Parts: sequence; structure tokens; C-alpha cells
Amino acid sequence: MNQDFFDVLYNLLGTLGGIEEGVEVRKSINNAKDYIEDLQVEYTRLFINGVPHVVAPPYGSVYMDKSFQGTFAGNTLAFYRQKGFTMDQGADLPDHLIHELEFLSLLVEEKDFAGEEEFLKKLFRPWYQQFHTRVTKDAHHPYFRVVVMLIDFFTKEEDKDGFQPNET
Amino acid sequence: MAFNLTRRKFLQTASLAAASVPLSKVVSASTGVTKAPLDAKGTNGDQTVVGGICEMCFWRCQLVGKVRDGRLMKLEGNPKSIDNGTSICARGNAGVKLLYDIDRLKYPMKNVGERGAPKWKRISWQEALDECGSKLKSTVDQYGAQGICVFPHGSSAKYPMHYFERAVGTHNVSEASFFQCRGIRDAAYVATIGKAPGEKIDMPNTKVLFFIGDHLGENIHVSHIKAYIQGLQNGAKLIVADPRFSASAAKADIWVQIKPGTDTAYILAIANYLVKNNKYDKAFVEDHTEGFEEFAAAISEWTLEKAAKECDIPAEQIKEVAEMLATNAPHVAIHPGRHVSWYGNDFQRQRALACLTGILGAYFVKGGWVPAKGPKVKGTSWAKEDHGHKYDLNFDHEEDEKVYAFNPPGTPTELIRDCAISGKPYPIKSCVVWGQNPLQTIPGQEKMKDLFRAMDFVMCVDVMPTDVTMWADILLPESSYLERFDYIKTGTQWDFSKEHQQYISARMPFIPAMFERKDQIYITNEIAKRMGHEAKIPVKTIEEMVEKDLASVDLSIEKLKAADGIHIQPGKDPYGVPEDFTVLLYNEDIEDAGHPGVPTYKPVDQPPKGFARLLYGRAPVHTFNRSQNNVWLHNAMPDNPVWVNDQVAANLGLIDGDVVGLVNSDGVKALTTTTVKVTPGIRKDCVYMYHGYGSANPLLTIGVGAGVDDQSLITKLAIDPETGCNGMRNNFVKLIKNGKVLDIPA
Repeated sequence: MNQDFFDVLYNLLGTLGGIEEGVEVRKSINNAKDYIEDLQVEYTRLFINGVPHVVAPPYGSVYMDKSFQGTFAGNTLAFYRQKGFTMDQGADLPDHLIHELEFLSLLVEEKDFAGEEEFLKKLFRPWYQQFHTRVTKDAHHPYFRVVVMLIDFFTKEEDKDGFQPNET
Repeated sequence: MAFNLTRRKFLQTASLAAASVPLSKVVSASTGVTKAPLDAKGTNGDQTVVGGICEMCFWRCQLVGKVRDGRLMKLEGNPKSIDNGTSICARGNAGVKLLYDIDRLKYPMKNVGERGAPKWKRISWQEALDECGSKLKSTVDQYGAQGICVFPHGSSAKYPMHYFERAVGTHNVSEASFFQCRGIRDAAYVATIGKAPGEKIDMPNTKVLFFIGDHLGENIHVSHIKAYIQGLQNGAKLIVADPRFSASAAKADIWVQIKPGTDTAYILAIANYLVKNNKYDKAFVEDHTEGFEEFAAAISEWTLEKAAKECDIPAEQIKEVAEMLATNAPHVAIHPGRHVSWYGNDFQRQRALACLTGILGAYFVKGGWVPAKGPKVKGTSWAKEDHGHKYDLNFDHEEDEKVYAFNPPGTPTELIRDCAISGKPYPIKSCVVWGQNPLQTIPGQEKMKDLFRAMDFVMCVDVMPTDVTMWADILLPESSYLERFDYIKTGTQWDFSKEHQQYISARMPFIPAMFERKDQIYITNEIAKRMGHEAKIPVKTIEEMVEKDLASVDLSIEKLKAADGIHIQPGKDPYGVPEDFTVLLYNEDIEDAGHPGVPTYKPVDQPPKGFARLLYGRAPVHTFNRSQNNVWLHNAMPDNPVWVNDQVAANLGLIDGDVVGLVNSDGVKALTTTTVKVTPGIRKDCVYMYHGYGSANPLLTIGVGAGVDDQSLITKLAIDPETGCNGMRNNFVKLIKNGKVLDIPA
């Protein structure tokens, strides 16, 4: 994570019309004594262990099964397999946000748009919506709010005109 | 807030591509999902994995795991087990929920906030170990090895405990399992029969079971309960002394609703009755005891009438109990108990139990106290070194003798805490907490916090964010018992009337450790390397340790796996008194150390006016505070109602289910509330609650604030004078309803 990274982020936000969000992140980063530590502490609190409690573990099963490695994680792994993918040794749990996003990108690379749509609908959005709400509501640092907003933008269903309907 | 663009539109824009640095250069695309050949259907079906050994409690039942695609779906008893068999308890079943608990510790973390009010930051193992190693080394360099204190618990804590005791050389190690639990029992029996007694009574084959406060059924250890139930099925009579109508009292032939703290008087009155009426085992006393004369003389004051008055029970009932024991001796099982750190007079009570067993001749006979003859497997650990007594807090250099002459292994907790807080006689500046939660296992929570405040460095290793972890500078996540190798479990069949068999098993993981959890060998060794003790490291990995131990009996992990996780071999008949076995009814060494050489009753403080004594015990579905965040167990028993006598409740205007708070006689209020359980099944002078509730740590999203933490109300610190262990039932409480403090009628 360096200046190049943030430049790309600000540029991306600018393209999307998220100038205000970019300014907010920039302010937090530039005004921090140690912005990396701020992000590490907030990352730990949001996603690993936090006081008063972890806010939003980035795993599907946490939302669908109230546990790690629930049936939902099993179904996610089964979907990867069905599409001819597997988890590397030492990878995180299959329903980790980062793996699911990578999997989606691999489906796009393979031009498997039907698969992408099915995965988003059945195995990604159902939990991501809840995760997204929690992070948006409880994140103290704007960086994480912006990141989940971006993920939301790139994964949310669009109608034929490109509008993203409200999800319940 | 939303972006004012559609995705389609965005993808059509060129601005991102025109950016000076492309996205792909600043984020890594590969996270761990890769293309692989398609698996045939069924390749990833359920597997039954053998070799599990439970650690939801210390009984450690043998398990198999049903694993699907790397996920542990279910735990079951190992069908090959001759201990727990296919049975496991509620807690054993709920191990799955511990494994996958969302709140579990996952990565090393550094506290960048304050002790007690932490701000956690995930750090690498390298950074965490460097910090632990350098801080601990700096303590040793500046203050000596004694500058480190250690509070360990559980099978994973043994290796690091030995490291700090043996290689580093600190005496300041205190295990709650000894100093706040069974240490007094073990020390008292060692001083009487030369051996720690365990719970080795031959319950299936006994004629009478004699319990002092044991509440089997609420305190569940599978093979122990099997043995107990088999005994009752075989027609054994059950005598239970308990102020409360416990699960065992409910099955008892005689329930002795004894006044708390007076058990020793009751036991001595039984012994005295047996002696006075020539109903003791004369042959056994002649052959296998010493000090009978002194014993008989010293206990002679305990007539039935005197004990009846002291214990607030009928004299006739004490006689009935004594007669039942005499009639059935020597086939009587006097249970040595387990958690016995009650009143600060406990060593004498435990001695009394051991002596009663002796005069009944109930050692090594069918139905008595009978240690099984199990297999001997070598244990690998750090080599022992002599570090002398110079910095042993339990050694009085002026008197040239121990402070607490009969302490269990380790140093009494209060000696460590007093030294750490006062800095006298020397500074203690680093604290290692490993698998223990001293804030809920050791009485005097504020004192414990003062200890942490006095430290330069605190590190905790645990599986869960328990209360104590909030006081750590570095918090390390340990792999759980389902994710690691370690413990070698040995034993025999639990019913000695069946074919004699021995078993050997080793803990093996059902799944690899998730996230970045590590085992105790890795963590300890890495710290040892950084503290300059690399040359002394006994094993490089946890698997190597298990292999080494198993090799001592010509076994290996592979052989155990091939044997479905458990090696079974022919056993030996455990009955028959060894020729040199001796019961010291009078122990001169105890007298020389300034304590009564014959078991002696010491009265305890009575509740001040308006207060009731706070009693606590085990919940059948929880293991102390260790399981309070487990969602299945929490749902089974979400809080710990306080038992109040029905007449007392009527006087106070309390009805079943009322929400109450508690305040103790030192003015300490419980942080949370609980409900009232109104019952005739408890004496008027005490209240009772299950232990292990009311965690204060919000990281435990399920356990936090659920029920009342009894330990928070235990502020009067009684110390057992012979052993230095705590007594925890000398605290007195009032109830609070709707903000009003209620005086409990006498």
C-alpha cells in the first residue's frame, strides 16, 4: 500500500463520481500520524477481533450459518469445483470475500457470464449485502466504507438499463 | 451514498485505463483460487477421521470426527474406546462450535491501546515472537528468571510451563488446576497415602458411594459418570453431603443437608463412631496404617451429638451413615472430590477423607479406592534443572523451611501476586498467561488486575478472547485440540469387573489449523530461540514429540491411525494392597510444620447478619468460563440462576424468575444480573450458582454479560495454611431487586 495505490483509488473514485469519498479518504490518510497502523487497527477491529466485538468477518458462512465453515462455505467450494477451480494450499476459507472476488474475475476471464451471474445471486450477494451494511454502518475509517462501496458497485445486480435496484 | 454511474457506463470510460498507474500494478490479483482438473463426483465425500481427544474439559474423551471437504461436521465418541466408548457429553458435541467460533483468536495481535482497554492490531508471527522473546529476555537480563510469572492451564500449557520453570528457571508458576482446584486434595492424600488420589474409586463394584459435595451429573466426565451409574445400577447405596439438593443428592439414599464449611466435623464424627464402636477394619489398621492411637485420641471429641450441632444435621443420620459404611466396608467408595478449594480449611478435610478410607480398609479392594494399572508412556519435555531455592517465594530463608509446607507443584498464587504487586522481595515484571483465564479462575479480580498493571510485559496465548486477554500486550492464537497433535491419553477399562485392558491413544488433528493459529511447541520454541535457549529445545515439532513418546511403547502415529486411533493391549488386575502401602492417620511432618498431625476441624467464618454464603459449582453443559461463548452450550443453559431457599424467598417477596443483582459483604456488586431459582433444595444460610458465567469481555459476543460472574463476588481470600491454596466459599452476598438491597433473614 503506497502512494501509487491511493492515486489509483482516487482516480477510480473520481471516474465513478465519488469525489467526496476520495477527499474523505485522502484526508484520513494525510492527517494520520501513522496511516498504516490506523488501517491495521481498523482492519483488525472490523474483520478479525475487535472491541466491543468483531464487526464484519469477511466470510459468507458467518452471515448465512452464524459460524465459520458452515454449509454455505461448503456450497461455495462446491461451486468452485463445479467450475473447475480449487483452493490453493494455505489459502483462506473458500467463502472469504477476497477468494470470491478472485473467483468472479476468473469467471469473467473465461467469459462464463452465466456462471458469474449465478454465483453472484446464490453465493455472493446474499451475505455480502449484510457484510456491506455492517461495514458501512460501523467502520470508523472512511477507507473501508469506500472499499465496500466499490465492491458493492461491481457486484450488485443491474437491470437492463444498468440501474442497480434496491436490495432487501 | 452511491456512485452516479452504471457499471456498463463505467466500463466504457477510458479514464481508468488512462491513469498513470494501472490497477493491476497496485493490487495483487491472485488470492488462492486456481484452475484445477475436475474431480469425479464422490471424491470429496465424508470421511471418518480417528485420533481425536476432546479438551472441552480435562477428562479428555476419545473422539472421531466426521469431516466433509475439510470441514468438521460432527464429533462422536470413538467406537473403539474402552473409556467413553461412543458416548460424548454435550460439551464434547459442541466442540465443533468452538472450532468454528467467529470470535476465536485467528492471528497474532498487538495491543496498541491500553491493558484492560485494548486496541488490537494484527501483526505477523515474526513480529509477535520477536516482541515476546525480546521483552521476556530483557526481563530476565534485568531482574533474573524470577522476574517472569506464568499462569498456565490445559494440556497445551505443559510444554511452555516446563520451559519457563526448567530452562528459564522461574519458580513463579501457578496453575489454577492446583491452587484454585484440586491441589489441596492431591497434597493431602500424598501426605496420607503417598499418592495423589485422582477420582480412582471403584464405583461400578462398590456397595456404598460416599460424596462430600461431589455433584456428579452436574459435573459430567463421561467414563466417570458411566462408572457411577453402573454402581447405582448394581445396587450401591449413595450418601451425599451437600447443602444443596444436587443432581447426586437427588439420587441419594441419604442426603445430608450439611451446614457449609463443617464437613470435616461430620467426617471425623463418622470416624470416631467407627473407632468407638469397634466398627473399623482392625486388620487393615494394624497392617497398613500408622498413628492410629493419636488419631483415635484426637478425634474422640467428635461425638455424634457434637457434630450434629456443628453441622446442623441429625445425630441419628450421622450414625446411619456410619453404620452403612461399616456394614459394607471395605467395599465402600469414599470419593476424594476434585474441586476442593472451598473454605481455607480444606487440607484437613481431605486428610480426614483419606483417613476414613483407611480405617474402613477401603484401599485397593473391590469397591474401594483402586488405582488402575495403566500403560506407562514416556513424556518428552524440557530437561529438569536445579534452580535452587534462592528466589522460591514459598521458601522462608530465615526459618529455612517452606512457607506452605504441603503446597502442590508450583508456587501459591497469592505469594506470586503479592510479590508482583509490591515488588518485594524482588520485582516480577513479565507475565505469561497460557490457556488460563486468571480473572475468572482466581479470586480477587482487582488484585489480578493490579498484577497486570505492575508488569512491563504481558503475553497471552489462548484459543478464545477470554477476559484476561484484554490485559495482554501481545495476544497469540493457539490451535485448538481439534487442530493439533499433542496429548497422549492412556488408561484402562472403567469397570474392573470386566476383562482387564489398557489403552494408548494420541491426540491427532481432524483438520489443519485455520487462519494463523499455531501449536504450543512452535510458539514456545520460537520464544526460546529468542531468549537464548535454542540448545535446550527438546523437540522441533509437536508431531516429533508425539512420535517420541509413542516410540517408548513401540507405537507410532501411523500405527495408532491403523488401529483406529486407539491401541488396546491386555491389562492387569488392579486389586490387592501393596505390602508397603501405608496410611498415615497421624503425620508427624505435618505437626512439625506447625499444623495438626491428625485431621482436625477448623470452623470457618459465618455469614454476617443479612448475608448468605455464596456457593458455586459446575454446570453440566459448561466447563468453567471456557465454554461460555459456545453457541450450542449457551443456548442449552444461557445463564446461571441463583438458587434461593423457598422460605427465604417468601420472606423477601421473591418469586421464581425474578431478576436480581448480587452484592457481597465487601460491597462488591456483580456487573450483571441473573434470575432467581426458588427451591426448597437449598439451605437458608446459603445461595448457589453455576460457575463460569458473566464474562466481561465484549469480544465474546455470546458469553459477554450472560449470567453473573460468581468469581467477581469472591473477594475474601481464604488461604489453606498447609498448602497455600485459595478457599473460595467464604464470601457472603445479598440480593438486589429493583435497586433495593434485600437482607437475607437468618
